[in-house]
Amino acid sequence: MQQQPNEVTLQKQGEVTLLGIKGDITAFSEPYLNDAYRNSNSQGAKKILFNFEDKAYINSGGIAVLIQVLAQTKRNNQLIGITGLSDHFKKVFHMVGITKFAAIHPSVDEALKAMSS
Amino acid sequence: MNQQTVEINLPNQLGYERVAMGSVAAFANSIGFPPDRIEDLKTCVAEACINAVQHGNKNRPDARVIVTMGFTDNVLHISVFDEGEGFKETPKEPDIVRIMNNLDPPLGFGVFLIKKLMDEFEFQKLPDRRNEVRMAMKLRK
Repeated sequence: MQQQPNEVTLQKQGEVTLLGIKGDITAFSEPYLNDAYRNSNSQGAKKILFNFEDKAYINSGGIAVLIQVLAQTKRNNQLIGITGLSDHFKKVFHMVGITKFAAIHPSVDEALKAMSS
Repeated sequence: MNQQTVEINLPNQLGYERVAMGSVAAFANSIGFPPDRIEDLKTCVAEACINAVQHGNKNRPDARVIVTMGFTDNVLHISVFDEGEGFKETPKEPDIVRIMNNLDPPLGFGVFLIKKLMDEFEFQKLPDRRNEVRMAMKLRK
């Protein structure tokens, strides 16, 4: 049962690099998230906002991939925000501790405002 | 198993956990579980299936993953069976600070989430050599 590839868009919104990530986040997402992060870095991103789809299925494999990307952002002293999550995955991200390293925002607009200040 | 037990027989391949997720969502919804608990159930059954595929059946294409679900005494019981050796002990809880500092591998989130989200979690090796992960969630009204 094949997973659809993730579609990732990269947009500069002021000083924040907005990564729009469509699709489920699983172990199969690794190349797409890593490419997106590399592309952000090549543009000198200091602040990155991950915008997931609220209907996305996220599993432990996807969480592991995301944490590996977050570990790189920590080493590179980048500010990270996350938005677009359903209430369920906000809870899951809090449980596993992702919120210690990346703030979860209720919307893109609110994230951009918080991350730009 | 009783007459109301549902059984799903899945290929040993990542992605098919979505079939179990859809089934448990429909089953729990028919019983009256609220949407937030159904989301918890979907995550837990998915994680148990992923563990069965990868760690139990070690990605063997000829192996199967069996999921059963039933509702008795106000409790939804789910079992996930694989053909592997099973857990020798409960995996330790992932420590995200150690993982972020490359001191631990990014593993163990599946069992961690099941333990957090379900009311009961246990595993056992069966006499027929299969491994069973059992989970339960109470319906609170």
